[in-house]
Amino acid sequence: MSNFFQLLMNEQFKLYIRKSTWIMYILMAVLIVGVAFLSNFGVENTPTYQAAHDDDWRQTLQDDNASMQKKMEQDEMMQGAYTGQIEKNNYYLDNDIQPAPYDTWQFVMENKFLLSLVSLLTIIVAAGIVANEFKWGTIKLLLIRPITRTKILASKYVSVLLFALFTLLFVLIFSWIIGAIFFGINGMDPHIVVNQSDGYAYVSVIGQIVQGYGLQLVTLVMMATFAFMISAIFRQSSLAIGIAIFLMLSGNAIVGFFSDYNWAKYILFANTNMNQYINGSPMFDGMSLGFSITVLAVYYVIFLTVSWVFFTKRDVAGH
Amino acid sequence: MSDTAMELIDVKKVIGNKDIIKGLTFNIHKGEVFGFIGPNGAGKTTTIRMMVGLMGLSGGDVRILGNSIKSDFKDAIREVGAIVENPEMYPFMTGKQNLTHYARMMPKVTKERIQEVVKLVGLEKAINEKAGKYSLGMRQRLGIAQAILHQPSVLILDEPTNGLDPAGIREIRQYIRKLAEEENVAVIISSHLLSEIELMCDRIGLIKNGEMVAIQDVNAATEQTTVVEVQLEVTPIQEAVNILTEDFGIKASGRDTLLIQAERDRIPDIIETFVKQNIRIYQVTVTTSTLEDKFFDLIGENTIE
Repeated sequence: MSNFFQLLMNEQFKLYIRKSTWIMYILMAVLIVGVAFLSNFGVENTPTYQAAHDDDWRQTLQDDNASMQKKMEQDEMMQGAYTGQIEKNNYYLDNDIQPAPYDTWQFVMENKFLLSLVSLLTIIVAAGIVANEFKWGTIKLLLIRPITRTKILASKYVSVLLFALFTLLFVLIFSWIIGAIFFGINGMDPHIVVNQSDGYAYVSVIGQIVQGYGLQLVTLVMMATFAFMISAIFRQSSLAIGIAIFLMLSGNAIVGFFSDYNWAKYILFANTNMNQYINGSPMFDGMSLGFSITVLAVYYVIFLTVSWVFFTKRDVAGH
Repeated sequence: MSDTAMELIDVKKVIGNKDIIKGLTFNIHKGEVFGFIGPNGAGKTTTIRMMVGLMGLSGGDVRILGNSIKSDFKDAIREVGAIVENPEMYPFMTGKQNLTHYARMMPKVTKERIQEVVKLVGLEKAINEKAGKYSLGMRQRLGIAQAILHQPSVLILDEPTNGLDPAGIREIRQYIRKLAEEENVAVIISSHLLSEIELMCDRIGLIKNGEMVAIQDVNAATEQTTVVEVQLEVTPIQEAVNILTEDFGIKASGRDTLLIQAERDRIPDIIETFVKQNIRIYQVTVTTSTLEDKFFDLIGENTIE
């Protein structure tokens, strides 16, 4: 076990000593600051923001509702566009809750879209971690140690997951710090109103963060494992990155294309989006949370088994 | 057989339906330097890859100190240090970081040992530079350093003299001899150039088309008296030619220097006669070694790329 830890140290060392890894982090940091900067401009003009800082917040929300109602009536195109916002405002009014001011917690929550970037970076790392050893030729020196190939592969896979975890933590913590600088901190457990499958509810922002990030982790782990498998099969990182990113982006389109067939529900991408169960609208009949978890587990096991077979059984030949 | 370090037993490799290695059987003893010679494409690297478990065996077995590379991989490979083909290192890491990386993968390699090995291969000055900036010769040294870190019983070096200057080659040669003689390490060196490794080997195995054509004791070979090729720089040249044909029945060719084929034993006689006849001798050189001749005959010169 102790030498597995040594292997992990090696893999992490090789990952974080390279400039390209740091460029990824710098890129994300710049993006987070950029998003905070842009949000900073927009946020003060929203009625919700004004309501949060206004003693007469009920009036502000009612005015907002009225103006939105008016816009919808005047313009055919805007029909129904503000219904969601009006209902949300009404929930605040009905339950007599003053909207919480926009703060770093909500900023972190909104930044969950950055997880697709984390997925992208994890795919790049997963695609390279085996293939690069072949590209550099160092695989030959790596595999002639008194360590089984299975263990080496496992250390590489766990390293990918660790990278994903560290990067995720980086996004969370850095977003929180930047958000705190730009928008301040409103207590340690602020609540907001969100739309859920059973109507509007007043929920904890932290709960939303955990849920929002957590659900996206499903796609992240599945696609990283997929890229890892392609990399172990073809020993080429660019191919693995290409296929994995293409599938990640076109996953929904693929499911849509085959949606007439019943077997489409077995496609990986029909199951990666767990939101469908929270919203209560699964993509296909006969799908349930248990069904999706089973399908995902089967794919996961296949990906790892194929990686393992190719990595441990195949000869390491010349170029 | 306690002095056998590595045993190859009818090792075969089939790729597709081509027989790459057609059954190699030989032993390498402790404290011996074994040269593994053959033209490019003869199967040297494939054999080495099978010795270290990078490639699976289609038949036969490789045993290192009695442990099979197939069934006892960990115990077998623990006793092996190797460079397979080029000594490729992580270019973005320093020499020291590269060594530390491999040291973590092996039991009981201390920091002091790393220091010691660095000194041994003469890389103290460059060890904290990125390996990507190393010259081929420096990478070769770093490659040897990682191969001997864990003090293996068997050291396998694929083309170790590649990219080294003559001084470097001599240094490596001395070092390899020292390892074999003092630490009783079995060293296997592959090369396609006999002349480069002839001087450091005890035995040489010649491989051609996946078969071991000959295994030759180096010392025994040079003692054998066979015909050698001799280059003579003498004047006057015409008189020398006459003496050679009349007294020795040897045909000479060449204009400025003479090239003759003669039995090794007769060279002193030829020189003696030249001296008596007042022919001035500037140089007498044996141009090809017996070993090389022998191997060329076996391989057939034309097949060398």
